[in-house]
Amino acid sequence: MTKDNTDSETAGDTAVMADTDLPVFVVDDDRDVRTSLPRALRKRGFTVEVFDSARSFMESCDNERPGCLVLDYRMPGMSGLELQKHMNDLGYSIPIIFISGHGGVPESVQAIKGGAVDFLEKPFRPAVLAERINAACKLLVVELEARAECAQLRAKFDRLTQRESEIVARMVENPAEISSKEIGRFLGISPRTIDHHRARILEKLEIKSAAELIDLAGKLERICS
Amino acid sequence: MKNSLGALLALGFAGLQFLTVLLVVFSSYLTSERALIGHARDLLHDVGTNTIEHSKGFLSPAHGAAVLAARLAQNDVVASDDPEQLEKLLFQQLQLVPQFSGIFFGTDDGEFVYVMRSHPVGRFRSKIITYAGGKRTTELIWRNDKFEILDRKFDPTDTYDPRERPWFKSARETNGTIWTDPYIFFTSQQPGLTLASPVESGGQGRKGVMGVDIEISSISDFLSRLKVGHTGKALIINKNGDVIAHPDQGLIKIENDDGSLRFVTIGEIDDPIARTAFSPLFKRDGEAPVVPETTSQFVFDGATYVSVVMPVVSDILPWTIAVYAPQDDFTEVIKHNRATNIWIAALVAVVTGAIGLILANYIHRPVRAFAVRSALISQGELDPSEPPPNTYKELENANDALVQEIVARKKAEREYGQTFELSSRAMAQVASDTGQIIRVNERFCDITGYQPDEITRMQFSDLADPADPRFPSSTEFLADNDLPLNSEMRCICKDGTAIWVKVNAITIRNQNGKPLHAVVTMDDVTRAKAKEQQILQLNRDLSHLARGKTMGQMASGLAHELNQPLAAIAQNVDAALLTVGQGPETDPELREILVEIEEQSIRAGDIIRALRGFIAKDEGNRTTFDFGELLEQTRRLVQADANEAGAVIQTRLSDLPRVEGNRVQIAQVILNLLRNSIEAMAGQPEGQKKVLVFSHLKDGQVCICVEDTGPGIDPSIKLFSEFETTKPDGMGLGLSICRSIIEANGGELWHDESCKSGARFCFTLPPHTDTPAAGSPAPGTT
Repeated sequence: MTKDNTDSETAGDTAVMADTDLPVFVVDDDRDVRTSLPRALRKRGFTVEVFDSARSFMESCDNERPGCLVLDYRMPGMSGLELQKHMNDLGYSIPIIFISGHGGVPESVQAIKGGAVDFLEKPFRPAVLAERINAACKLLVVELEARAECAQLRAKFDRLTQRESEIVARMVENPAEISSKEIGRFLGISPRTIDHHRARILEKLEIKSAAELIDLAGKLERICS
Repeated sequence: MKNSLGALLALGFAGLQFLTVLLVVFSSYLTSERALIGHARDLLHDVGTNTIEHSKGFLSPAHGAAVLAARLAQNDVVASDDPEQLEKLLFQQLQLVPQFSGIFFGTDDGEFVYVMRSHPVGRFRSKIITYAGGKRTTELIWRNDKFEILDRKFDPTDTYDPRERPWFKSARETNGTIWTDPYIFFTSQQPGLTLASPVESGGQGRKGVMGVDIEISSISDFLSRLKVGHTGKALIINKNGDVIAHPDQGLIKIENDDGSLRFVTIGEIDDPIARTAFSPLFKRDGEAPVVPETTSQFVFDGATYVSVVMPVVSDILPWTIAVYAPQDDFTEVIKHNRATNIWIAALVAVVTGAIGLILANYIHRPVRAFAVRSALISQGELDPSEPPPNTYKELENANDALVQEIVARKKAEREYGQTFELSSRAMAQVASDTGQIIRVNERFCDITGYQPDEITRMQFSDLADPADPRFPSSTEFLADNDLPLNSEMRCICKDGTAIWVKVNAITIRNQNGKPLHAVVTMDDVTRAKAKEQQILQLNRDLSHLARGKTMGQMASGLAHELNQPLAAIAQNVDAALLTVGQGPETDPELREILVEIEEQSIRAGDIIRALRGFIAKDEGNRTTFDFGELLEQTRRLVQADANEAGAVIQTRLSDLPRVEGNRVQIAQVILNLLRNSIEAMAGQPEGQKKVLVFSHLKDGQVCICVEDTGPGIDPSIKLFSEFETTKPDGMGLGLSICRSIIEANGGELWHDESCKSGARFCFTLPPHTDTPAAGSPAPGTT
């Protein structure tokens, strides 16, 4: 990311097209910008939704509808920065690209601190914006996939009973001692019962071995943290 | 020196009284002596007069009777040639006049009838000498008071011849009634005198001389009965110096060599006092001293006597009455009395003096209590409003008047003192002549840093800063000047710091116009002066900004607004390019044009960004400052405009942290907002033009709002856009520039639409933090 939008490599490349089908949300109080910017983006193949204020966006936004937010930094009423803070507070993870006619170092720093993926000063090259949207969407897709996998894994693990979860936790914690005897001693249960639980665990998680179990648990940890 | 009433009263009541008593006593002492002596003389005079009158009274009936007897004889009432008839006549006469001791008739023929009183009383003796037939017969007959003969005898030895007797001769010679000098009667040996009157026989009667013997020892008896003082005496002295009457009859008779008796003379009398007193008056023998009544004083044997000599009674009785008495007889009692009086007077003087003192004290006591009270009041130990002691009405009235005066005066003093002490301004009393500081209030000490006891040892000029270019004139108000003086001077505090003070001095004078002291009022205007300086600087900066940087600011402000359409242009060109690219026939020139437009819009953005450097550069001027102070200074700059427009500017600032930013730029924003508000309210009625500036903290930022009571912002107007304005002569750039300034300083500026009563514009400023401002990280951070 950079605030330098006079990038020579992309300056002449007007052929940057949308390589995502995620929607782009444009929020700007300037009527001209609201007209021209979505049009240009649509020409490049983006799906665009337009809002004239932060508030109207807030009212229609939904965490289940991922997309990229192109947000005017300065607006009357709720400013872009405030909207960003609000989204963060709600726990929505939506990539935000700030555009500002009043840009400056202090503003961009504030925006980035708040988790913005980029900050463009008006006027900017539409190709650059398109590029940044694509980049942001790519990241978002990865994140969305991770999120989906995480949810899937979590759903599997959620099927385990409490006892089974304890056994899994013990196995992940101490991969050197995963025999039923060792775990049974640790939990004060007979190895036979452990064996029984282990079979149920593998069944529920749709895996075949203890090694796979540890792998899966590690993955869950990695993706969902 | 005023007289003390107490002393006056004491003197008046006791002293004068004492003096008066003393005077009376002394004058009476002096005059009583003289009066006493006068009185004594009067007494003696009375005695003399009494004696004269008594003598006359004793002798004049005798005289009358003798003359009567002579007439009887002469008028043949008495057969004078008949001795028995004559004897009887004489006997009757003798019985009639008790003064007579004897009565007799002698004829020229030598016959003699004599009837005299004899012893014992009531007995009479007659002596009859007859020449019957030439033969002399002397018969003595004793009779009782009934003329009865008790005894009779003849005395042939008798040789008495009346014609030889002096009385006969004198009467015959003078042919009238004569008085003999007193002498001692031969027969009775008593003092007496003889009155003789010639009888001229008319017819058958005979010529002769009728005589009467009058004993004057009764005069001596009278004298002895007279009380002249205790031991004083009166005596009668004949003109020849014989003492013919004396209280002590034994003293007046003396025996001659021949055994006969005679009167003793004054020079011989065995009464040494009388002798001493009167003998000098009778030195010339036989000649009566023709003296007027003479009083004299003499000393005998150590005692003082007074004496009076009365003149001769008459020609026929050429007697002198002499009276003497010791002075002490009259004065002793009075002297004693006088001594007693002096003692009583002294006692009275002492007692009345004491009463006078007590009275004076009693009268003076309320006055004294009043005086004590006055002294206490004057020393401030007593409140005049305390009830006064019970005193006189006049004093009470005076007291009331004075108390009113005192109360009024104390009130004035207290008020002046409080004004002086509690004044929020520094005050000092300075001696007009020397410049010595007499008294200062607390504030004065606060300002100068000196203690009151230190400063009262100084002169006012000691406080002036010698480095003050106006130093010589800075203390000129100490000169005797009627005009109050106002000036500013630099003053050196105790710690050496120089402060600016505004000095006001007035000279206080007494009724005569003599300057008493100067009252100096002093204000520390150091801060005000500094603020004034700051405001001046701000104004200079603002006007400089207005002159020199307005274009830059405008451009900068414009830039922000221009960026929006530029961005739109860039987007539209992009869209156009894409559209052109998608078309079947593409005119390369059109594509070129569109690319140029895009490039130009980007270039315009670059230019605008460069313009923003004007503000960015000013970031070097960012400081930490107190917003309230800046607001106040800015408010003063528009106060004139506000007054002219009839608008009131109120500020209501909460306790704000210091903020960070470019002070001059922020001032310009405030100025702009305030001016906008004032101008927006131009159409409002008087009294409803109010601009309120208030503040609060918003998300850690300092938020300041400027609110007016104007008509508000028309919703159709797009604020913060270039060339949108409600002002007939405005360009609509003010708010836009303000916004860019505030944003450049790390804050935001917006129009708060929630305010319905008028327009409200708010902006935020970052508070000062110790760490570098969050908005200025190192450039290039990704």
